[in-house]
Amino acid sequence: MRTFKAVVLIAIVPAAAAAGMLVGGTPLTFSQILSQLAHPHATGVLHTIVWQLRLPRVCIAAAVGASLAIGGAMLQGMLRNPLVDPYHTGVSAAAAAAIAIAVVAGAATVTLPAIGFAAGLGAAVLVAALARRGSGIDSNRLILAGVSLSALFAAIVTLVIVRAQSYDYATAILAWLAGSMAGRDWHDLTVTAPYLGIGALLAIASVAPLNALRIGELRARAVGVDVDRAQWTILASASLLAAGSVALAGLVGFVGLIVPHLARRIAGSDARNLLPACAAIGGALCIVADAICRRIVAPAELPIGVLLAILGVPTFLYLYLRPRATGQNVAG
Amino acid sequence: MIDLQDVSLRVGRRLLLRGIEAQLRKGEFVALIGPNGVGKTTLLRAIAGLHAVHAGTILLDGTAGNRLTPRERARRVAFVTGDEILLDALAVRDVVAIGRFPHHRWWQWHAFGSDRRAIARALSAVRMEGFSGRLFATLSAGERQRVWIALGLAQQTPVLLLDEPTSHLDVRVAHEILGLLRALTRAGKTVFCALHDLNEAAAYADRIALLGEGTLLALAPPAQLLTGALIERVYGIAMERVALSGGRLRVFAGAPRDAITDAAPGARRNQEPSA
Repeated sequence: MRTFKAVVLIAIVPAAAAAGMLVGGTPLTFSQILSQLAHPHATGVLHTIVWQLRLPRVCIAAAVGASLAIGGAMLQGMLRNPLVDPYHTGVSAAAAAAIAIAVVAGAATVTLPAIGFAAGLGAAVLVAALARRGSGIDSNRLILAGVSLSALFAAIVTLVIVRAQSYDYATAILAWLAGSMAGRDWHDLTVTAPYLGIGALLAIASVAPLNALRIGELRARAVGVDVDRAQWTILASASLLAAGSVALAGLVGFVGLIVPHLARRIAGSDARNLLPACAAIGGALCIVADAICRRIVAPAELPIGVLLAILGVPTFLYLYLRPRATGQNVAG
Repeated sequence: MIDLQDVSLRVGRRLLLRGIEAQLRKGEFVALIGPNGVGKTTLLRAIAGLHAVHAGTILLDGTAGNRLTPRERARRVAFVTGDEILLDALAVRDVVAIGRFPHHRWWQWHAFGSDRRAIARALSAVRMEGFSGRLFATLSAGERQRVWIALGLAQQTPVLLLDEPTSHLDVRVAHEILGLLRALTRAGKTVFCALHDLNEAAAYADRIALLGEGTLLALAPPAQLLTGALIERVYGIAMERVALSGGRLRVFAGAPRDAITDAAPGARRNQEPSA
């Protein structure tokens, strides 16, 4: 059973990527896509569609989904709270507020991801400072600080939208709030990749402490976990992953909160299995959702955050709340 | 094994314990007793490196505890506490496997043969081999306590610290747990265990450490400590002692001192033993 689950988790990413590559305004066959992928230095319209339009979006969707899901799983594990997601670090609300102000101030569109990233990371640092207790982090203070600052930043966004002199401003801001990968390319991914990479490395370094934290902070300390250091590492990782995701795709909700629950159902709570499962499910989910967003109201695009919430939440509620047979033994 | 040198501990701004001097030897079972709130848990946590030492030094095998990294300390001292927390979907073997954390580097994710052997030995020692795949949440209180002890055993430390391992357990399970700890000391492990039941301490401990009045008042064999007036002074209650065959001792608490003073003669005989 465990092997079957592992195979399914490994297979869903290329399957989703294939679906993502096939969907678009120009119908392409699978062999055409494979042919273009096999010749990265070729030229032509098909090459441009595959290499410059669809592949970067698939990669960005995968990176965003994986990052948010991993960040959510780590924070839920660290804080032992199933209602937490990476945006509880204040990243999303601060990014939205900064971008809203930047839009109204006339900042160039190309600078918005960087502004969102910087503001998001700044908010994460502020939340961390407010949550600090001694040399570690107080879980309750972290959640309270994150929620409070997010409310403040959300109010700023509302204020900016209400006071915006132009309908275009409000539309641009709302596009960010709803999340979208439209117009993103390799440049956006390469600029963000180092931060996502550092976040992923910190996540890998947090695997063993995360597993120990499953039996509580006190016992984790007793078995030799440097809990303070682990908390800072996890928070830094989740903040980098969330800020990078916001810079790439705006605010994509649902993934960071719900995917860890689904992954836990499939792979268990062992971080060695849980984090890769989150990456696979989160990545595949965002790739498929982005493809649907491109297709469902073509030639326009549906915001991915909206789609994920409309389709994902009922699915999650069905999967999570349906009665289950409970056995006394754990498989494997 | 453990050497406490003029140790003082604070909780917040309050000086809870001061001037504690004690040495615990290899293979010894020492029971830690004292009234509620006197600092038993805090002292155990300080030895385990989970509570800062305000003054003095705690030596673990000759090395000051505060000079050890968390992993190094966790290879020398295991701390077992029965505080209940929610553990969702964790199997017994997963819980015990966490005890192997101090033996791994941060990049070593997978269990080695030595880990599997240590986990199997720990589960066997607490007679929970058959529960390896069971969900922790489905266990009884006594079984959970055994799992926590197994987690401490999986750390393979020479010293085991336990914070009230028999609280909430029925009398049979409590004595099984204490018998298990006694057996561990015969294998060379040092056990330092906070207990509330004086008779459990009398029956199983080599020595009893009595905390009271903000310090360690005595560290002596049960027969010596429980027969003196000091124990009555610390708990503020009269004690009746009953010597059993084989030199065993049982202690029964009477009414609190105030009640004894005020009550009519003969009232004590109607008091139900509470300890």
